[in-house]
Amino acid sequence: MSLNKFRTKSPWILHYNAGSCNGCDIEILACLAPKYDIERFGMINTGNPKQSDIMLVTGPVTKRSRERLVDIYSQMPEPKVVIACGSCGCTGGVFRGMYNCEGGIDQYIPVDVYVPGCGCRPEQIIAGVVEALAILEKKTKDMEGSVKLHNDPIEQDGQTNRREVAAVI
Amino acid sequence: MNSSIIQILLIVLAPVLGGLIYGFERVVRARMQRRIGPPLLQPFYDFLKLMDKRKMMVHSTHAFLGILHFVSLWFALAVLIMGGDFILIIFLHLLSTALLILAGFSTRSIFSHLGANRSAISVLAYEPVLVIIAISAYMLTGSFNVSEIYANTTPVIMKMPLAFVALLVILPIKLKKSPFDISEAHQEVVGGVELEYSGIFYEAIYTAKWLDYIFCYLLVFMFGGNNWGLGLVLVALTFIYINALDNSTARVNYKQMLRFSFWVALPIAFLNLLMTMFHIL
Ligand code: SF4
Repeated sequence: MSLNKFRTKSPWILHYNAGSCNGCDIEILACLAPKYDIERFGMINTGNPKQSDIMLVTGPVTKRSRERLVDIYSQMPEPKVVIACGSCGCTGGVFRGMYNCEGGIDQYIPVDVYVPGCGCRPEQIIAGVVEALAILEKKTKDMEGSVKLHNDPIEQDGQTNRREVAAVI
Repeated sequence: MNSSIIQILLIVLAPVLGGLIYGFERVVRARMQRRIGPPLLQPFYDFLKLMDKRKMMVHSTHAFLGILHFVSLWFALAVLIMGGDFILIIFLHLLSTALLILAGFSTRSIFSHLGANRSAISVLAYEPVLVIIAISAYMLTGSFNVSEIYANTTPVIMKMPLAFVALLVILPIKLKKSPFDISEAHQEVVGGVELEYSGIFYEAIYTAKWLDYIFCYLLVFMFGGNNWGLGLVLVALTFIYINALDNSTARVNYKQMLRFSFWVALPIAFLNLLMTMFHIL
């Protein structure tokens, strides 16, 4: 349908702070402020995992925050995209190797876009989000596409099992 | 005949019209903050996107109550457009809000409970004023039918200006605008009752919000009587007033809101009732 091309025009953002120094959070909030104004792309900072599409995570994952991180991630309905903001989020940054931190977000949840920089610039965040939109579109297409069976359905206990086969793709 | 076609068109197209108003409001709000703001059709883009999301239900009653909220609100709007009984309209609107409050209490999320609690308090704040306005309209026209108000040759605002002032005071509570947006305060209770909805079920709540715009602006339009131009001017002025208020004020707490509503809006509405009763204007 031609209407489908409009759906990437409204990515709603969920911002989660996994123990960052607030440098990156301030930059994310600067994106929402009048100078960069990402609402012109239709983005809203919802703060509600059940209604958002893009998760912006900042900070190395501290041991206190990792359960919440996974919890919030699993509450978001598909299709969803995760962006790791800042050096901390990508690799652990200056906190890498500390006793209370993990090295980066991708150790816990799958990350689609990495935005580097200690204090990532708002321009970079916007570029990262635009990148994420293409991934979001691709994920939506994948969800819509019919599941192709790569093997023949399995006969199991007298019942046909298609699910195991479909899970291969 | 001609007018009934317009009425039916209005009822059917109400969500679209409400979406346009909401989109325009977002643009205006952005311009007031010296931003560019989203495109005008942004609410419809949101609508299309929410359709493609995975449906996550808390439980089926919760989702069903959300959809019922939308349907009953549309019904209330239809009665208002057709010029039905004012009391019935107020009751149907109350019913739709009550369904949403029930939905809020039916989950185990604490934010949802808080939001439902606050919604109930907002109903307490605006409902008496609306009823008094309805009674004043009855005193004026001798009938509870809204069609009598639409057909009134002298604009109703000339006859009961204080009722209009009272309506202006309670409209931000009804539309969940700052300073009275306690029921969906995004920084405190993250949207309140709508918190647990997602995907296509959130769409019902989101679209119901657009219908609420139409409902409130029609209440304002009613004050123009049979003079449509005056009604539209009143709607435009109210639109600017609500957005300016929304942008320039901070949220009050629920006690302050109730006090304001009971000590300011209610006496104004009551004074209006007395004035209409004794034909002062
Ligand atoms: S990347 Fe730098 S600015 Fe961002 S959270 Fe880490 S230490 Fe702070």
